[in-house]
Amino acid sequence: MAALQEKQSCSQRMEEFRHYCWNPDTGQMLGRTLSRWVWISLYYVAFYVVMTGVFALCLYVLMCTVDPYTPDYQDQLKSPGVTLRPDVYGEKGLDISYNMSDNRTWTELTQALHHFLAGYSPAAQEANINCTSERYFFQESFLAPNHTKFSCKFTADMLQNCSGRPDPTFGFEEGKPCFIIKMNRIVKFLPGNSTAPRVDCAFLDQHREAPALQVEYFPPKGVYSLHFFPYYGRKAQPHYSNPLVAAKLLNAPVNREVVIVCKILAEHVTFDNPHDPYEGKVEFKLKIQK
Amino acid sequence: MVGGFSILLWIGAVLCWIAYGIQYSNDKSSSLDSVYLGSVLALVVVLTGVFAYYQEAKSTNIMASFRQMIPQQALVIRDSEKKTVPADQLVVGDIVEIKAGDQIPADIRLLSAQGCKVDNSSLTGESEPQPRSCEFTHDNALETKNISFFSTTCLEGTATGMVINTGDRTVIGQIASLASGVQNSKTPIGIEIEHFVHIVAGVAVSIGILFFIITVSMKYYVLDSIIFLIGIIVANVPEGLLATVTVALSLTAKRMAKKNCLVKGLEAVETLGSTSIICSDKTGTLTQNRMTVAHLWFDNQVFVADTSEDHSNQVFDQSSATWASLSKIITLCNRAEFRPGQESVPIMKKAVVGDASETALLKFSEVILGNVMEIRKRNRKVAEIPFNSTNKFQLSIHETDDPSDKRFLVVMKGAPERVLEKCSTIMVNGQEQPLDRSTAKAFHTAYMELGGLGERVLGFCHLYLPADEFPATYSFDVDTMNFPTSNFCFVGLLSMIDPPRSTVPDAVTKCRSAGIKIIMVTGDHPITAKAIAKSVGIISANSETVEDIAKRLNVAVAQVNKRDATAAVVTGMELKDMSPAQLDEILANHSEIVFARTSPQQKLIIVEGCQRQDAIVAVTGDGVNDSPALKKADIGIAMGITGSDAAKSAADMVLLDDNFASIVTGVEEGRLIFDNLKKTIAYTLTKNIAELCPFLIYIIAGLPLPIGTITILFIDLGTDIIPSIALAYEKAESDIMNRKPRHKRKDRLVNEPLAVYSYLHIGLMQALGAFVVYFTVYAQEGFRPSTLLNLRVEWEKGYVNDLEDSYGQEWTSYQRKYLEWTGYTAFFVGIMIQQIADLIIRKTRRNSIFQQGLFRNKVIWVGIASQVIIALILSYGLGSIVALNFTMLRPQYWFVAVPHAVLIWVYDEMRKLAIRLYPGSWWDKNMYY
Repeated sequence: MAALQEKQSCSQRMEEFRHYCWNPDTGQMLGRTLSRWVWISLYYVAFYVVMTGVFALCLYVLMCTVDPYTPDYQDQLKSPGVTLRPDVYGEKGLDISYNMSDNRTWTELTQALHHFLAGYSPAAQEANINCTSERYFFQESFLAPNHTKFSCKFTADMLQNCSGRPDPTFGFEEGKPCFIIKMNRIVKFLPGNSTAPRVDCAFLDQHREAPALQVEYFPPKGVYSLHFFPYYGRKAQPHYSNPLVAAKLLNAPVNREVVIVCKILAEHVTFDNPHDPYEGKVEFKLKIQK
Repeated sequence: MVGGFSILLWIGAVLCWIAYGIQYSNDKSSSLDSVYLGSVLALVVVLTGVFAYYQEAKSTNIMASFRQMIPQQALVIRDSEKKTVPADQLVVGDIVEIKAGDQIPADIRLLSAQGCKVDNSSLTGESEPQPRSCEFTHDNALETKNISFFSTTCLEGTATGMVINTGDRTVIGQIASLASGVQNSKTPIGIEIEHFVHIVAGVAVSIGILFFIITVSMKYYVLDSIIFLIGIIVANVPEGLLATVTVALSLTAKRMAKKNCLVKGLEAVETLGSTSIICSDKTGTLTQNRMTVAHLWFDNQVFVADTSEDHSNQVFDQSSATWASLSKIITLCNRAEFRPGQESVPIMKKAVVGDASETALLKFSEVILGNVMEIRKRNRKVAEIPFNSTNKFQLSIHETDDPSDKRFLVVMKGAPERVLEKCSTIMVNGQEQPLDRSTAKAFHTAYMELGGLGERVLGFCHLYLPADEFPATYSFDVDTMNFPTSNFCFVGLLSMIDPPRSTVPDAVTKCRSAGIKIIMVTGDHPITAKAIAKSVGIISANSETVEDIAKRLNVAVAQVNKRDATAAVVTGMELKDMSPAQLDEILANHSEIVFARTSPQQKLIIVEGCQRQDAIVAVTGDGVNDSPALKKADIGIAMGITGSDAAKSAADMVLLDDNFASIVTGVEEGRLIFDNLKKTIAYTLTKNIAELCPFLIYIIAGLPLPIGTITILFIDLGTDIIPSIALAYEKAESDIMNRKPRHKRKDRLVNEPLAVYSYLHIGLMQALGAFVVYFTVYAQEGFRPSTLLNLRVEWEKGYVNDLEDSYGQEWTSYQRKYLEWTGYTAFFVGIMIQQIADLIIRKTRRNSIFQQGLFRNKVIWVGIASQVIIALILSYGLGSIVALNFTMLRPQYWFVAVPHAVLIWVYDEMRKLAIRLYPGSWWDKNMYY
């Protein structure tokens, strides 16, 4: 086998490259004459315009086939996720720690709650109606204004002691902090057959002899009223806001880190997915210092 | 395992580990994904390397089995005792004894010799046995008679000699070291693959760096930018391609081995396809390397004998009474005999004791007359004078097989002029006529004519001794010659040549029509060389050399315009005085060239000269003297049966059946694999864009990542492997033997149209098609395209567990992750479906698929089936294995990309149609790869 490529010096290569960039004999730039460049550019422009058109057409057809009110599939949304407010994240999930005597450590937490509850002020909820039925609020037709469906009102004061109104510190100062537990919206999701879903908070590793976690729930019993379900989607219920449950921990230990898990107990809510820690439950670390 | 893609993949792997290092230093609990990815990349590199090595080793192993390592023995006189010692223990000054059939154990100077002849064909290319004696006859060691060379064979006689050179210092050893001094360099396909790797690596690196800068300037974290960079590299590098190319080459190598072309290095498979000049040795390559009767002259007529390998078809007129006499002389005046125990062996293959000419005559008569031994028995030999170089004739006296005829028959053969001297009459049509001037002239004309064909001519005559002078009891004495040795009756001439193999002329024609120039390079004499060149078509019937023109026009050679001659015969002596420029001129200006009397060094010079012409040179040969040239050539082709070990080990290819026509097969297969590799590479490159675009869109438009790096590896190393190998089975689109060999600088494996068409046309269409599938999956699950734009940052935040989709639904981080994997799977399936279309369109480059036939290449369908099955297994079989990022995909998503696949097919058919309709047009130049 013989050497096929003779070694070229650097200057030769540069010369070749310069020749490629501009060939004075044929008037070629980068291997093509100007007119050839124009032609090929025109072709590419045309080709890409057509391809973009085809792509746009595909997306248009796709959008036409998608139902504007209900998603076609909810493969991942079999059971709703659960989130907690205030939400401060540490290395592994929610991690809330503060010093009762140092208000700088918890103002941020209460601020987060205030901020979150701003969406639940009477003004923000004005467009919604008052519901009291405690049963599923099925709406087949669009009776609300602008061809929408009614949403039920959930105002912050339904959280009573945890609404921030009488106690703007949400109990953080006295070591009995409020946590707000929100269940994710899923279109047309019914949490149970007839009983309302309920929040239940407890220590994750509850020792038998240790005292159980005492929690005061707002609204009472920690239920999400059934009349907030089902959710009909953003287009049908533009003003819908999730019902909330606040959990006020009455005997949270001081100067000791504990893990608390709040589960949603309902027939159609599962909380045993090994991959998804936020499905049907929310866990958080809590450390209150004094 | 280093260089090219491997380097890029190593970089990717190292980047992965660095990324993990950064992640780990920030956050002890960071996931091991990057470590896995890095390990997978490293594994890919190592496996590819091991695989390539394994394939190479497999074909090298076949080679190793060829070497017969029988230790050579020598009979040496030491301490006044004859001892047998291994040849490698000989030292200078040893006295060795040689007998017929021995291989000479070292270079020796003969001290005594009895009728010793050696076969120097492997060393010098002379097919005739060379007599050896003690006389010093020439200054040149190769020419002098008293030197015998290592590894040549003693054919007959015995000799005693003194060892003058051993091992590497022997002439053969010097040639061998000349051969090993020749550098091995890259094969043409190796250069092409390197060129292609440069292109792909260039694209990968420049896009990678460009986007690294973009991401950094878009204020992404450096860590994220590194991860993007890894994605871009992985998407751009066709991980499986080198393995695929290796497999494709080894498939071809296997196919060629079935046709008796054994390829030693896989890459050499293609080299023959791009060959533009074949330098062929004569003896043993173009010729059969055995003397054979070619012409007869009797009754004032020249008859042609069949010289094909089996001699089966002797059609000359055998009715003449002269032939009866001639055949009797041929049969009787011959000492050669078949070795016993070969009854079942075809005549031409039987082993014979005797020298080459006698063997030729024996076989010739055996074929025509039947049992020669029986005839000889019936015509008992009563006396004989063997051939010697002073007499230059051979004579024997026989009783006749006619019981009523008591005369003795004296038969003689020898050098024609010596035989004619002893004759006073000549037999014409069975009648003795006085030998007058006109018949003598006819004899001379015939003698010159046959001699001019490069053939060795023998004259035959006989004499019936009068029964009254020589009664049955007469005692003949060959020393006193008590019988007449003149006034014989001349019967005829017979000429012999080492004839071309019967398959050669056809193969030469085919190579010619394939645009390959064939040059004969031989150590043999110019006349013989030219004659053989003419008979096989290396010098075609109507072309002339300078000397021919001079002779025709009756002018001096110097007056002839050299440009008029298409053919040229150049001897080693002339070559010695030539400058490289002069040699270049000869190589460039003559299409038909014969080099004769060349030394191994000169063969090397000729090959180099051809390579200076920008040609890819193949050298065929069998002898040791060819081995330097075999090694120097781009592809050396050795003969498997007659070839010497030195030639075989220097060669890149071995013709197992010594059939020159196998070279044509090799050319055809080589060209086909080149075409098919283009298709394979085009197929493989296409999806790179479809794999790359997701990353670019992800960075620029902020969509959730459409396809993961692991998923890309599953395309590159999973679904795409078998289909791209299947393209190696594709049949040629047109007669590839009717086009010129590719130009090594202009006809690249991966040219601009191929890269551009694959990347910017089909690749882009594929990317769009795959994106449609991706958007469909997301839209139907709740995320419309408009929502997806710039969603990336929120989407990837692990702590956002209530991300809203287009319907107001809230998603936890894991739910999104799962959807993202579904998106990967969807994108993967989108690419896979369109790769099926890509595979089908890549079957042809110019013809319509319907011209080529959809079902002719069954392996393509195996490939398609494998694609689909692998994808099904990944999606449904491993859907629960989270680490691989595949999820169960709803059945309908498998069909979303089908319209795009059809579109790709239609677009490519239009491209091919325009190419066929407007050859040479702007479209053809830009779109034909």
